[in-house]
Amino acid sequence: MADQAIKMRDVTKRYGDFDALKSIDLDVAKGERVVICGPSGSGKSTLIRCINRLEVHDAGSIEVEGVELSDDDDAIRDVRREVGMVFQDFNLFPHLTVLENCSLPRIRVRGTARADAEDLARSELTRMRISEQADKFPDELSGGQQQRVAIARALCLQPRIMLFDEPTSALDPEMIGEVLDAMVALAEGGMTMICVTHEMGFARKVADRVVFMVDGRIVEEGPPTTFFDAPREADTRQFLEKILGN
Amino acid sequence: MTDASVSRPPPLLDSRLEILKKRLFSNWFDGIVTLVAGSALVWIVVSIVDWAFLNAVWSEAEASRCREVSGACWSVIEARGRLVLFGLYPSEQHWRSTLACLVIVLTMILSCLPAMWGLKRLPALWIAGFGTFVILMYGGIFGLSVVTTEQWGGLSLTVFIFAGVFVLGMPMAVGLALARRSKLPVIHWLAAVFIDTVRSLPLLTILFAAAVVVPFVVPHWAQGDKLGRVIVAFAVFYAAYQAEIIRAGIQSIPSGQEEASQALGMSYRAVVFDIILPQAFRNTLPSTINQVVITFKETSIVTIIGFFDVTASASAAVGRGEWGAYYVEIYVFVALIYFVFVFGLSRYGAYLERRTRLHHG
Ligand SMILES: Nc1ncnc2c1ncn2[C@@H]1O[C@H](COP(=O)(O)OP(=O)(O)OP(=O)(O)O)[C@@H](O)[C@H]1O
Ligand SMILES: [Mg+2]
Repeated sequence: MADQAIKMRDVTKRYGDFDALKSIDLDVAKGERVVICGPSGSGKSTLIRCINRLEVHDAGSIEVEGVELSDDDDAIRDVRREVGMVFQDFNLFPHLTVLENCSLPRIRVRGTARADAEDLARSELTRMRISEQADKFPDELSGGQQQRVAIARALCLQPRIMLFDEPTSALDPEMIGEVLDAMVALAEGGMTMICVTHEMGFARKVADRVVFMVDGRIVEEGPPTTFFDAPREADTRQFLEKILGN
Repeated sequence: MTDASVSRPPPLLDSRLEILKKRLFSNWFDGIVTLVAGSALVWIVVSIVDWAFLNAVWSEAEASRCREVSGACWSVIEARGRLVLFGLYPSEQHWRSTLACLVIVLTMILSCLPAMWGLKRLPALWIAGFGTFVILMYGGIFGLSVVTTEQWGGLSLTVFIFAGVFVLGMPMAVGLALARRSKLPVIHWLAAVFIDTVRSLPLLTILFAAAVVVPFVVPHWAQGDKLGRVIVAFAVFYAAYQAEIIRAGIQSIPSGQEEASQALGMSYRAVVFDIILPQAFRNTLPSTINQVVITFKETSIVTIIGFFDVTASASAAVGRGEWGAYYVEIYVFVALIYFVFVFGLSRYGAYLERRTRLHHG
């Protein structure tokens, strides 16, 4: 019980009369690394956005670090402090410097003094190997650099869980490596991670479990070796052929 | 065989003359237009210089020469300029009006400095600035004699109305723009109806209502001062337009910005004041500066409901027979005053745009 980071039971999400998530059950243990994959429109983003309540689920229950997600704003804020998120298109704040991007949320959310928040920001930027860009603005950086700043920004809040929604899909191929390396380092540090990604090399190397979704349902899940080498479902085989074939 | 003179680039001056010649005299019709327009321009410039400088009378002492010369009679400014600057304010108290005007201008300049932009600093500055202004202008304490707002006038009145409208109107505009994107339908709808109603009314109607109608319908204790009511009404008018500018600015921000700040656990207040509004203002800087400049010039409309701002004071200054012939000089003087302010505003706008574009790419 106590070592459960995320517990989703019978979670359903509807847009109008379209079911984006259909009765999802998913448990993530503390320190576990889960990779979610599946065809476009299968509900991967919707699922991880429900975990920090960027989307509100319509039925079922979601517990994050023992806190049940409901309309209670305080509970939502508690959960969001513990859950960092990295987006496909970075979403850095363009009017703030790299350092401010990392320190301002810390100051506002945890009430940390500016000097301490900046120290923390510098150390997270160093961990992401991008500390030399601290005084630049986001649009002066390459995509790979921006994504590493976005990871550092999330880490500054010292979250217990990190969510990644296709963090490398918007990157030029030569920049994917530097971001994946940063994520591998994070995983080795013991962070609980849920990554939506189609980087199968990363999944093999880092994931404890791969979850495969189709049409709002979890169709198959298992450790990467079984998942990649002996998939049970026909849908999974088809998907893997497509992804790995090109 | 190569020709050295062809490969050498022609001297710069020559090429510019070439281009000018091509543009201005490429055929006989262009040539005639250029000559006519050119001589008209020269004639206008010469006449203005002639009138304003060469044949002008400068000091009040020489005012008697004004009728003899063909140029401007700047003596009128020395003689009546005070009336333009101070309106009906008692003349032995003009120092108070001067000081008050400087206080407000200083307050506005300080508000323009990015270092002052804080939710505590800005209100503190404005309360201090406006408090000092009112104490200086109205008096009644520190041994200053009371000067009621009916006697306020001239430049300090214009600047005060403008500053008051801006300082009340801008927070109102932010509030309206935020209300307009509220998720609660009632609030959203009320803000929309309010903005559309105000925008459908002419400014003059709103000011008339505030100055003349309110005393009939509102209980005496709630009426406040006529000048105060006019400033509030003007601010409401400004806010309706500024709110739409801010709303457009907010709409131009990608939704990912708000999502990212929410995902970080930031409160509504932090999302709005640290992430959304700074970007909304940055995105709409040119239209905001435009609206502010328009508002500054429109303050002259208060003349119509009986306030002696710079424009009204100017016509009063020349209205009497003695100087009646020299209204052009007085209006040139007033125009210069407006120009200084508007030019300052637009330069500041250009500075802000440069500053923020550096951070924008
Ligand atoms: N705000 C919304 N309104 C209506 N439908 C939506 C909304 N957001 C998502 N959907 C629908 O829900 C389904 C799942 O969307 P989701 O973004 O979770 O898919 P995904 O698996 O992340 O796909 P992709 O790989 O393209 O990112 C899609 O069919 C999408 O059209
Ligand atoms: Mg997605």
